[in-house]
Amino acid sequence: MEVAVKREDIRIAGGPLPDIPLPTNCPGCGVGLDLKELKKHNFVCDCGHHFRLGADAWIALIADRGSWHERWGDVRSHDLLNWKVPKPYQEQIDQLMEDGLNEAVRTGMCTLGRRAIWLAAFDFRFVGGTLSIVAGERLARGMEQAAAASIPYVLIAASGGARMQEGVLALMQMAKVNAAVGRLHTAGVPYISVLTDPTFGGTAASLALLADINIAEPGAAIGFTGPRVIKQATYADLPPGFQSAEFQLGHGQVDMVVPRTELRPLIGHLLEMHA
Amino acid sequence: MTRHAHVPEPATLSVWQVVELARHADRPYSLDYIRRMARDFIELHGDRLSADDPALVGGLGTWHGRTTMFLGHQKGRSLNERVARNWGMMHPEGYRKAIRLARHAAKFGFPIVSLIDTPGAYPGAGAEERGIAAAIAAAIMEWFRIPVPIVAAVIGEGGSGGALGMGVADRVIMLENSIYSVASPEAAASIVWRDNSRKVEAAEQLQLTSRDLMAMGVVEEVVGEPEGSAGADYDAAARSLDEALHRHLQPLMTQTTVELLQHRYERFRYIDSLVHAEPQFGPKID
Repeated sequence: MEVAVKREDIRIAGGPLPDIPLPTNCPGCGVGLDLKELKKHNFVCDCGHHFRLGADAWIALIADRGSWHERWGDVRSHDLLNWKVPKPYQEQIDQLMEDGLNEAVRTGMCTLGRRAIWLAAFDFRFVGGTLSIVAGERLARGMEQAAAASIPYVLIAASGGARMQEGVLALMQMAKVNAAVGRLHTAGVPYISVLTDPTFGGTAASLALLADINIAEPGAAIGFTGPRVIKQATYADLPPGFQSAEFQLGHGQVDMVVPRTELRPLIGHLLEMHA
Repeated sequence: MTRHAHVPEPATLSVWQVVELARHADRPYSLDYIRRMARDFIELHGDRLSADDPALVGGLGTWHGRTTMFLGHQKGRSLNERVARNWGMMHPEGYRKAIRLARHAAKFGFPIVSLIDTPGAYPGAGAEERGIAAAIAAAIMEWFRIPVPIVAAVIGEGGSGGALGMGVADRVIMLENSIYSVASPEAAASIVWRDNSRKVEAAEQLQLTSRDLMAMGVVEEVVGEPEGSAGADYDAAARSLDEALHRHLQPLMTQTTVELLQHRYERFRYIDSLVHAEPQFGPKID
C-alpha cells in the first residue's frame, strides 16, 4: 500500500489551514499582515517570524488532506485534586472545551505523502499545552500502537511543561510517556519530534527531546527552566538568544532548525529514508 | 500494585509544616542513611563524559549480604558544604552519572537503591547549556531498561522532574514527613500567580504529602518516622527505611527480567487513582 513519493511531490501543507487570530502587524518586522498570504506560507511571515499554531492547524499542515483519523478525543480531563486557585480547574477545562479545544494533546493516525504515520500535536492554547493525565494517556496509547504496528511516530511539541493543577499525577506522565517512547525505540520505529515555540519543563524533559531526529522551528524557545525562573533563582543575566532553537542546535540538543515551509517535505523524505 | 504497611495516623502538622520538616537541615541526608545501611559503602564518581556531580552520591555497599548500588541526592549542612553539593540540585552530569552507575549495577546483577531528596534539578544557565532537559528525559527512559530491581525512597524533598529523574523504580516509598510534587510550592506559586510568596497556598493545593501520594496510588508505602521526626533519631530512621526497602526488594529478586521490566512499565502506565477515576485508563484499550 505504501507508494514511494518524491520529496518535491509533497506540498507544503497537507490540507487547507484554519484561520488563526493574528495581530495587525507582524511582531517580527512590523509589516501589516495579510491572512491569505500568510496561510500560503504556513503562517510564516516573509521576515521569518513563525506564528504559533494550535493542534488543529498542525494536523491540517502535516496530514494529507482527508487522511486524519483522530483517536481518543473523548477521553477527558477531570479535576482529581479539587484544585480551586486562582480559578477552579474543572471550570477552566470546561470553558476551554466549550471554546472548541480538546486537551493539550490531540493524536491520531493519518498519512503524510501517502505513508501511514501516527501524529500527536500539542496545543499551547489549552492550559499552556501542559502535559496532563489525558495528554499522557493519548501519547502513550498512540506510541504503544505505533510500536506494535511499526508505524512512524511524529510529534509536534508546544508546551509549558507538566500541568500544575494535576499535581504529582501530571509529573508521573513524564515517566509513563518516556516508557512508551522506549517501546518505539526498542521496536525500531522512527520517531520524529518537531519542537515549536515554546517547549519547556516536563515536556522538554520527557518525550520532546527523545526522538531519533529532533527538529526545531526557527526562533522557538526551548529549554527546561524558563528564563523568568532562572533569573529569579540565580540572578543571572541571560544572553540574547538564550534557549532559542539556534542555541539548542549549537548545544547539540536538536538536529536541525527548519522553517515551517520546508517541514512537511522534509519529514516525508526522512520517513522515506527510514522506511 | 501491592501495598504493605498502613498509612500512619493523620498528623497534626499543617501542610506547610510538613514542607519545612521535609527540608529541615537536621534531617538525615542520603549519606546518613547509606552509611548506616551499608557500613562498607564505597563511593564512585563521575559520568565518564565530563564531570562528577556532587549533588548526587553513588556507590557500592553490602546490604543484607548482597552487593548493592546506592544512589542518592546529597545536600550539605554547613554553608560550604551546601554550596559544594549545590543544595542537592543535580546538573545534567548527575543524571548521566546515575545511568552510568545503573548500567554498572545491571552488568553485575546488583539491585539499586535510590534515595530522593532534592528541591529539583538545577535551574541555572549552565545546566541549560549542557542539556538538562535531555539528560533528565534520557535518564527517565533509561531507567525502564535497567534489568535489575530498583527500589526508591523519598527521604525529604521530591521536587519535580529533578526527583522523577531518580524516581523510576519497581517500588517507590516515602518517609512520613517527606514531600513529592510536580513543582516546588515556590515554583508552583510563581507559575500559577507569578508570585512565589504564595507558597503556603500552593503547597496546600498541590497534595504533596506522603499521605496524599499514598492515597493517589503513586507510592507503595509511607514509612513512619521516629518520635519527633527522622531528625530526632538518625539510627531509628535508618532502621525503618532499611527494613521497608529490603522488604520491598525481596519479591523483586525472584522475578525474571522480562517480568520485572513489564511490571515497571505497568507501574507507571496504570497509576491506581487514574484507573479508578476513569475506567478508560485501565489496562484494556482497543
